[in-house]
Amino acid sequence: MLLLLTPLVCLADPRADYLLHCGGCHLADGSGNPPEVPTLVDELGRIVDLGGGRDYLVRVPGAAQAPVSDARLAGIVNWVLTTFNAQTLPRDFKPLTTEEIGRSRRNILADPLRHRAELWRAAYGVDG
Amino acid sequence: MNVLTTLLDRMDQRVVSGCRQLARDHGRRSFLAKLGTLVAGASVLPLLPVARAFGAEGLQEIGDPRSCDYWRYCALGGTLCSCCGGTMSSCPPGAEASPVTWVGTCKNPVDDQDYLISYNDCCGKAVCARCGCHNTERDKPVYFPSKSNDILWCFGTESHAYHCTVAVVMGKASTG
Repeated sequence: MLLLLTPLVCLADPRADYLLHCGGCHLADGSGNPPEVPTLVDELGRIVDLGGGRDYLVRVPGAAQAPVSDARLAGIVNWVLTTFNAQTLPRDFKPLTTEEIGRSRRNILADPLRHRAELWRAAYGVDG
Repeated sequence: MNVLTTLLDRMDQRVVSGCRQLARDHGRRSFLAKLGTLVAGASVLPLLPVARAFGAEGLQEIGDPRSCDYWRYCALGGTLCSCCGGTMSSCPPGAEASPVTWVGTCKNPVDDQDYLISYNDCCGKAVCARCGCHNTERDKPVYFPSKSNDILWCFGTESHAYHCTVAVVMGKASTG
């Protein structure tokens, strides 16, 4: 069993994938460079439970268009959520699945900032 | 009293032999020789194609950091800060590193491993055109604009004036 798992573990290194495809702008610690580059720290943990929140995470162009497979994108997003958002992630959080990500990323957002504001308004009635 | 004398004698002997050992190992001449090597070596070493260990990054490297052929620069588009008063991983005095960068991977010839390299632009001074360098590994400007190393990365800095580019090792790349 261990032998079967080893290649998977070796291939999937979400931290390295994150640094290569996202870390240039969102930085190694996820803090980004607001307002141009939004932070990935704590805020995503609050978004994930909103209606459409899970979809939103991989419909943003940077995630949807990253040159990685659905499985590796799932690895990156789940790593970002559990690493940078441990404080805000809902207790019953279930990691995003490869299939779910495959479906969502095809529905790319043309205006992610507006969509994010709408998500926030629908959930809290205020601008986020 | 006897016990005290013996104890003091032993302490004396220890101190004397310790001092002698110290003098043998670290004589004035050997100190001067080491200092001389350090001073001369520090100025010449960056030019020599020799294996070097970089304490902070703990990495064995080979080559000349002032040459565009240097392994870290496999995807660098711009000019080399190491020719402009900075180093391959730090901006020259007076220039500010861009917080956002583009990240690529390069193979280190010493251990044949791929490393993640962050190409940070140093900004806020007129361009330093001493060592132009244009390598294009993973550079896909048409298909992935975010993977274009020709983009000016001086965002989030005081000034958008481009000065030069550094190549910082972020860690090993994934194997897949």
